[in-house]
Order: sequence, then structure tokens, then C-alpha cells
Amino acid sequence: MGKRFSYGGDAAAAPRKRAKVVHEAPTSEEVHASRQLRQLLIFDQDPVRSRHGLQSLKLFLDEILSADGGIKSERARILRDYLDAEKPAEDDESPVYLPDIMQTWSHAGQTNNDNIMSAVPVVLVLLLRLLSQSLETVPYGLGICRTLLQKRQQELISRNLAADKGKSFVISPTLRLLREAVSFDGGAIARPLFRARATMLKSLARNMGIVHMGEDKEDTKRPSARTNAIQFFLTAIKYLHPEAKKELLSQRDIVSALTRDIKQDPPYLLKELLAGLRSHIIMDDKVPREAKSNLLNTSTLVRLSALYQHRLDSPTEDGPSIADLAHELLLTVCTNPTCGVLRQDAGFYPREIDPNTTIPTAELDDLGLEAVVWMNKFKTEVHVRNFTLSNFLPNLRPWSSVKQSELITSIFKVAPELVANYFLNNKSFTFEPKLSATWIGYAAFLFNTVILPIPENLCRGPSVPELPPPTSIVLDNILPLPLNQKALIRCLEHKSNMVKFFATRILVVAIEKLDAAIKIYQDPSHTNKSIWNEAARRLVDEFCQRAPSIRNMINACQKIPTQDLLHREAASRLLRLCYEVLPQATLSAKLDVSAHLDAVLGRISNQELEDPRDFALGLKELESLLAIAGYSPGMRWFGTSKGMTLSPFTQLLKICVEAPKGVSLKMIQQVLNFVVVEQQLVPGHAGHPGLLPLVEALQYSGKCASQVWPFLDNCFTHCASKSVKYVEMLQEIAQETAEPAGQKISEPLVSPIILAIQDQLPHASKNGGEEVLKALGRILPSFLGLSVTAGESRPILNSIFSKMVSDLPDPKGKLAKAGVPKGLEFQHNTWTSSGSKLSRSEKIAANIEDVATFEATIDQETLEGMLNIPDGLEAENSALMKWANKTADELVDEGYATSLIVLLASEHASIRKEALVSILKVADKIKQSDYEEKEQVWLLLSELAETAKDNVNNGPLPSTIVAFASHALHIVRDPLHGLYPKVNIFLTRGPYWSLDKLPLVDEILTEEPNVGDAFYTQISWLLTYLIDGLRTTHDLELYHKRRAKGPVFERILALAANPYMRLPLRTQVLRLLYRASGIEGGSTTLTTRFSVMNWLEERQFACTDSSEAAVYDGLRKRIWEACDQQKVSEWSKNGLP
Amino acid sequence: MASSSEPQQQQQPKTQKQIDAEFTSYYLQRATQEFGEALDAVRSADDFKPDSSIAVLISALQQGTEMFSEEDKRAMICSEGSAKSSTK
Repeated sequence: MGKRFSYGGDAAAAPRKRAKVVHEAPTSEEVHASRQLRQLLIFDQDPVRSRHGLQSLKLFLDEILSADGGIKSERARILRDYLDAEKPAEDDESPVYLPDIMQTWSHAGQTNNDNIMSAVPVVLVLLLRLLSQSLETVPYGLGICRTLLQKRQQELISRNLAADKGKSFVISPTLRLLREAVSFDGGAIARPLFRARATMLKSLARNMGIVHMGEDKEDTKRPSARTNAIQFFLTAIKYLHPEAKKELLSQRDIVSALTRDIKQDPPYLLKELLAGLRSHIIMDDKVPREAKSNLLNTSTLVRLSALYQHRLDSPTEDGPSIADLAHELLLTVCTNPTCGVLRQDAGFYPREIDPNTTIPTAELDDLGLEAVVWMNKFKTEVHVRNFTLSNFLPNLRPWSSVKQSELITSIFKVAPELVANYFLNNKSFTFEPKLSATWIGYAAFLFNTVILPIPENLCRGPSVPELPPPTSIVLDNILPLPLNQKALIRCLEHKSNMVKFFATRILVVAIEKLDAAIKIYQDPSHTNKSIWNEAARRLVDEFCQRAPSIRNMINACQKIPTQDLLHREAASRLLRLCYEVLPQATLSAKLDVSAHLDAVLGRISNQELEDPRDFALGLKELESLLAIAGYSPGMRWFGTSKGMTLSPFTQLLKICVEAPKGVSLKMIQQVLNFVVVEQQLVPGHAGHPGLLPLVEALQYSGKCASQVWPFLDNCFTHCASKSVKYVEMLQEIAQETAEPAGQKISEPLVSPIILAIQDQLPHASKNGGEEVLKALGRILPSFLGLSVTAGESRPILNSIFSKMVSDLPDPKGKLAKAGVPKGLEFQHNTWTSSGSKLSRSEKIAANIEDVATFEATIDQETLEGMLNIPDGLEAENSALMKWANKTADELVDEGYATSLIVLLASEHASIRKEALVSILKVADKIKQSDYEEKEQVWLLLSELAETAKDNVNNGPLPSTIVAFASHALHIVRDPLHGLYPKVNIFLTRGPYWSLDKLPLVDEILTEEPNVGDAFYTQISWLLTYLIDGLRTTHDLELYHKRRAKGPVFERILALAANPYMRLPLRTQVLRLLYRASGIEGGSTTLTTRFSVMNWLEERQFACTDSSEAAVYDGLRKRIWEACDQQKVSEWSKNGLP
Repeated sequence: MASSSEPQQQQQPKTQKQIDAEFTSYYLQRATQEFGEALDAVRSADDFKPDSSIAVLISALQQGTEMFSEEDKRAMICSEGSAKSSTK
């Protein structure tokens, strides 16, 4: 049975090009005896007879191979007898096995007979296969293999391997022969065969390139020369020793040819190839890393990645597809450092920089982050250690393949240095939103990139380096370059909700990652704390510049359909994160959280969500909104808004009572308890369970609870708005019942809400008729009973209950007789009397994490890093020249006008005069221009000039005036700014300003904000201008001078006691004090005039966050050190420090 | 007293793996419900390839599950029954 075509004619005799091959099948005869076989194979110069013999042997061997028993079969005896007869003498030094066949082969070589050159390897392959079947015949096979290693045979093999590319019928059997030889007897001759690589591996690379031609699939029974070459290579690497593999892999032509045509290989070969490379090279620990690197260069990786879309790949249920196998291999290769591709990187620190460089402290103090020369160096290019991967990654298409996306992000995870590098090298692919599969794939890829964890210690080392990493690189890891502000805004404004949803999710994980990064930056263990703090600020600033503004996010959030729970949850989470992580960015937010909250509360409490999972998802949205409400002092907990029958507080309580079992209500309960304590609905002392007795009683009463919500809502509102009235009622009842009243306000003996209920009970029937009273008749005894269990005064509760009973339907007098039930226990809620009260740290606003590890004390360097703000009015005289050629827009928007204003505080009269003239010219130029807000800007500058004109010779203008003017300039150019009306009213009030007064302080601190929720935005602006305006002793006088409404310092200190004011604003107040303490006499004045030491002490004790408390403590120390200690000690009668 | 006192069958607590699977399934179901129209538009886009784009879409949609903690997932999947309808 012939497997192959045979070719007639003498190929050597024909012209090389376009040789016309005549197919002349060789003749054959059936073999019956060993003697016959010997005669058939005896050397004969006649090629026809030689072919006849070889063909007869081939068919005979085929027959044995396919028969049962193989070499041990009866028919094989003929072969064994023949081989015995042909066996060389034992004393022969270089025995030649099968001498006749070898001679025939040699003669064919001399006469260029390709048919015989091909036929000999064919029969040898079959023979070796048969001989390997039995231990008895293996020595004979080894003899044949060693014969092949003899010089004459080596030359013939070499000649066969180097045959013309078109002669695959010669090349392929030879490659198969080598494959059999190298694997014979477990690779017994692999080592000597490799030593003869000059001939044995001849033209291997070339032969790997002889691929199957044609559109149809390669026939597995007639493999191409490439297939045979690859199989020989794979068998060789299986049996070769590591050094030989290294040598083999150093041959670039072979390595390159191995994968060059991989796209066309049949699936079975690819599976063998991938498995072979994995087992015998990649995962072989003995193969040196360098050798693996030679194989796994960028080209190889790119070619392997082409298998993600192999044209012949047909995934079956039986086994993995080619794409799966290639993916698995690439994942291993690219993420396992032992495979020779992945190199150890330093996380966010690029190659070539030393993050532990020692920079002189003086330099760091003077220049801050600018002292680190490489800090801004990597904005356009990042040098990486993993250059192979860096070159490979752009060839992948993560947007169209989940696997490729997974591969890249897996690589990013183990080599974070590549993230910034990858996006810098792939700028062309933008995130411009489009409802297409590609955009969604890209969005998913970016999400997976953003969600990657921050490298350990930022550098993947054992400890955090001395210096922070380049800000641009960290930012590129948090918000990769394609996620720029423009693209993200377009996504948030896109008409498709899905596009908005994807952008929202990415922003959520990005802000979470930013938060994680900031925590590392603010780790107290840093040596250069000020540098790290500055780097954290810069990171946040640059993040805010790349991310959309809070207004965009709020707008996007407002347009989400109410039934889109997933989307709403993600959007509310995003807003919450902004409030928590980027508080400064939310100052300009105009979010009416009450409206959002009302909508969600309505949806949840009205049971619109039937699926419990939807209900739980709605609660997640609610949680986020509640957290935001905690940041909004304007939140109206007890007012009912349009279209709602219950206040947000009562709706929350209703949700808590009616929630399905199992859903997490912790957050809602915390909010409820926070509000009831703040509004004095319940006692605020430790150990009181807050509103839990009422919740328990309502749950206990079952369906009755649904009747009483409007009534309870009314009671809550009354109690919150008239808390004093109920405290007084309590005192009266306490006196009546002869209970010691104790500290009545801070620790009332019963909850004021109970008194409010009693007070409102006569009006209860208005809120639903008799049914309400009936329901209250069931609920109130339990509520009061549970309140007793919670530690409230039984005599007082008895007294209250006896009054209540008169209003409750109790025809048979059962209620009056029973009184307040005894021994009630909490069944639905867990509470024990030892449980501590929900402290302020647990309130909703307690998002400031209590960093347990933060040291209780803070050193002066850290304090300076946190509270010292560079002089905002530092003058540059060159500003006098720079403005001349600028347009009105540039003068206002790019700060040229501000630079001139600042010069009015210069110490040199000539500079001041010149600045004054320039300001007048600038004002005039702007007035003449088309600038939109030219009138307001002109007015501001003109009034400033008018104010400065008479005083320009008397010394620098007060910093307060200069600071006000420079900050007000930003407002008059933005009509949407919350302070725009106030600044304009101020400007139109008169042509010049009093140098003695601080503009706008009264207006901001005492008047209502013009725009609803803008109070804190305005305070923020005011504090910034006050800090900039405090530079000299003369400025200081203005701050502590007596005024109608009190000195400015006094008012600012009072402002900081506002419990709703958030950390960033509180810190600004501390910065103002820090600035004052640095001015001569400042600390002493603060101490003796404003008792700032006591104020700081009180703030410190009231503070629940240890890190913040440490700042207060640090500032006290700083003020003590800077003040006139003798004078202060005398003043305090040695009470200080 | 008024709380449900019906005997409840003892159920084996779900493993985190089961919860993850159920939550992913719920998340996908919600996402396809909320963005059904957009998904249809994507399916008719020029670059949509039936063999690979569906996997990309599913993967993209379900990756949002990573934003939820194990505790959140458990709370959502293991909550029992919905609240009974009461006053509006």
C-alpha cells in the first residue's frame, strides 16, 4: 500500500527549473522468505531493480506494522531472519547495518536518483518504528541509528535535507528518519546526533518554511516538509539535554522559522508545537533563562498571538481550541518571570531613576517636588525594563477579544511599569464614545486596567522608597491616557445610557484607586513627609484636571431613568466617592441631594421593587445618597417635599421596619441614630440604643405599623423643631414623679420623642382616624416597655403612659390596668445594655477613616507640610513686562492681570507705581476689548487702582486688599460663580475700598448665600483669600482689630466649631492660624486675645479622628514655641502650656 | 408576635462561589434589562462579529460585579422575600 507518490525518471538529468516529473510507480512483489528479501535488497546498479526491492520491503514493513503483534508476529520472522543474516560482524570497529540498503542509498546519491534517495529513508523509518517495538530488536535499531551517524550516511542525510525546496518527497522522509532516530530507545543517540548538527540540522530553518500550498487543509497523511521539520524539532527538544537546547535556540534562523508560518499550520501540529514548547523549553527549569529569551522574542510573541484568530481553529467540546492553548501559553510566558520574557520592574518608578536618591533637605524645603529632577520627566515617554513586552503589547487587540484583553491586563498586573508606557505608545486609539462593539470592548479593557491593584509599596519592593513616583505615571495608572476629560464628558453626556454607565463605572474604580494611592502617600512612615504630601496634592489636582467635573457627573446622574437600578447605584456611588475622596472638587457642586433621596426613598418605601435583589440594590443607592446627605448641611430630614407624604427621616425608618429579612440595614440605622441624637429625639448618652425600641415595637406590631406613619412623621417633626419644649415637659414630669432630673438636656431620663408622641396623641385621629389610635394602642405599650428595658425611667414612663391612655381607645380599661409592660426583650434587633451608644465616629459623616496606625503626635515638619501654604502673593517683577502683548482674554484668564495686582504689595515704591500704571492700562485695554465680562473686570481693576492711588507712596498695600482683588478677579469673570452677586454688589457700592476693612467678610459670614447650597463654597473662597491676605504684622492687626461683629479671628474660630463643616475647610482654618503663628507677635496675640490654646485643646478633645487630633496638638505646640512664652505664662498665671 | 412565625426550612448556607455565580447572573439580567435597546444597537453595528463580539459584550457587562464586595453580594442574593405592600 503506497503512502506516497513515486516519481519516475532521473531528476538530476532534467533541467532544474520547471522539471516535468514523470510519475512512474515502482514495481513490487510480495515477500515470502528472508532469502527472497535478501535477494530483493542486494545492491544493484539498476535503479529499477533497486526501487523494486525497496518498494517490496516497504510494503512488507507496512504490512507488519499494521498486523497484530508487530515485530513479534509470525510474518515478522522473515524480517528478523533477514536482519540476523545481514548483521555485521561483532568485532567490526565501525559496523554498517543494512549494508546493501546503505550502498543503494549511496549509489543513488552519486547518480542523483531522487526516488531512491527518498525510498531509503522511507523504509528506514518503518524499520526503526518496528524495531522499537521489542526490547530484543532495539539493539539492532540502535545499530542502524549509529550507522546513520557515520560519515557517508551523514553526507547522504545532509544532501537529502538540502534538496531543492520542490522536492518535499525527499526532504520529508529524511526528517521523519531523523525524528525516529533521535527518539529511538528514549533518545539514546540524541546527544551524538546533536553533535553532528552541522549535517543533521542542515537546512532545518529552510525546511521549516516549506509549507503546504493551496487553500484546502493540509492532509494529515501527507504532511508538508514544514510539519515534518517542526515535528523533528519538537522530538529533538524532548530528548536533548539543556545545553543542547540552549545551543539550538541560539540559532536565530531556526527560532525565527519555527513560528514564521505558524498561521498556516494545521491544528494538530499547532497543538503539538504549543505543548512541546511549553513542556520542553518554557517550563523546563534546566533550560537557561537566556535561551528562553532567545526563543520568546517579540516576533515569536506576536506570531503566537496571531493564533487568537487561527483560520482553521474549530473549538470542540472535547478539548481546548487553538486560541485557548495559545492564550494559556502566552499568559504563562508573559507573566512568569522564569520564562525569560518578564523582567522585574519597579512598579510606578520607571527604569533609570533611583527613587531612593538623597536630596538635601534644604533643597527639598525650597523647591518641594521640583527638587526631584525626574518628577515631570515622563509625561511623553516612559522607559521600561520589559522592552519585549512593551513592543509586543501594541500588536494585541484588547477591544475585540476578551482573551487578549485578559492577557494585557495580566501583564500589566505583573509589570505595572507597562501601563503608562502602553497608553503613551498607543495614542491613536481614542475613547471617543460610540455605540459599537469596539468601543464597549475598549471600555471593558480600560475598566480592567483601572481596577488593577496598586503595586506593593508603589515600587514592588519591600518598603516604600524615599521619593514619590512621577505623578504622571501614577495618574496614567489610575486614569489611563485615553480617559481624558473631554472623552469622559462626552461619554457622560452621550445619549445612550449604556455609554454613560460604562464611563461611570470606570470613574468609580478610578476614584477608589486614587483613594488607595493617597493613603499610601499619606502613610506616616515616610521620611520626607512634606514631599509626599505635596505629591499627593499634585496627584489629586491632576486627577481632577483629567476627570470630568462634579457638575458633569451630577448632570449625568440626574438623567438616569428611575427604573435603571444598576446605573443609578453606580452613579450615586460615584458622587459619594467624589464627596469622600475629592471634597475640594465638590465644593462647587450644586446637588440637591434631598430631591434624589426623596425619589429613592419613595421608590423603596412604596414597595415598587418586588424582587428582593432589586430592593437590596435600591438600598445600595440609598446608602450612597445618605452618605452624600451627610456631607450636605442643607439636608432637610424632617420636611416633606412636594409630592411626598412622609419626611425623608420617616421614610428611612419605614424602610428599616419593613425591609425584607437579610438585607443589610446597618448604614440606614446608623443614619437614623445619628439624626435622632443630633436632633435630640432620643437621649445621646452612652448605652442608649437610640431609636431601636421604636423600631422594635413597630416590627413587633406587624401590620399595625402601616397605619401610624403619618402620625409618627408629625411627631418627629414636632420633636425636632421644638426640642426645648419637650425637655421642659420632661423636667416637669420628673418633678411630678420626684425623679432626680440630673443633667436633663444631655442625658434625659426618657426619650423626648415619647413626650412628643404624648403631646400629639390628642391630634392623632386627624392623621387617619380611629384606626391610627387602635394601632397606637398596640405599638405604644411595647415602645414604652422596650424603652424601660433600654434603661429609661419607669416611673416617668408610667406617668406618661397614664396620660396617653386617656387618648387611646381602651373601653375596658385593659391598657390602663396593664400599664407599661415589664421585661420586654428585643427580638428583631440585637441590643444589650452593655452596648455602647453609636458614637459620632460611626455617624454617616464618619467617612474620615480612623487611621489607627496614625501616631498620636505629629512632628513640626509634617505639620508644616500639612498647614503651610506658599505665599500666594509672591511678586514677580517681570510681570510688568509680560502683559503688554497679551489679549484681554489672556490678561484675565491666564493670570497676567493677577500678577500685576500682586505687585501692589511690593516693598519697592517704584514697582508699586509702575504696577498701578499698568493696572490702569490693563483695565482700559480690557474695557476696549470684546471680552465678555469686560465691564466687571474693568470696574474691579479701576476700584483697586483708585484705592491704591493715594497710598502707593505710603508703603505696600495691605495684603488683604491685594488678596481680595486677585481672588475677586476669578469671580467677576464667571457669572455662574456663587459669589458673583455679592462681589458685584460690593463693587457697585463705592469707587474705592477702605484699607482698614476686609472686603466681603461680613457678607459671607452673616448673610444668606445667594445660591442655595453655596455657603461652604463661599467659606472656602473666603478662607483662601484670608490666608493669602495674612503676610505681615500690619495685616495681622487687621485680623485682630475690634469690629462691630467681633474681630475676624474670633469669627473664624467660631466658624470652625460648626459641626457640619468638613475636614478640608477645618484644615483651612488651621492653615490661617498657622500662617498667623509665623508672623511676629502672631502666636502671642492668638493666645492672649483669642485663647487659641484652649480653643485648640477643646477641638482636639472633641475630635474623633486621631490623625486630626494630632494636628490640633501639633499646632498648639507650634504656637507655644512661637509665642512670647514669658508673657503668655504671666497672662495665663502659669496655666500654659 | 406579629412577626412571621412560620417554620422555615433549614437551608445550607450558600458558598461564596454560588453567591458569586448567582450575583453575576442577576447583574447580567439587570444590565440586559436596563440597556436592552443599546445592546440591540450594538448588535447591528458594523463592527459586530457574532463569534467574538458577544463574548466581549458579556464580559464588559458583567465586569461591574467586581465593584461589589462579597458582603454586598451575599446581602443581595440571600435576602428573603420582598417587603409586603403597605401604604402608598
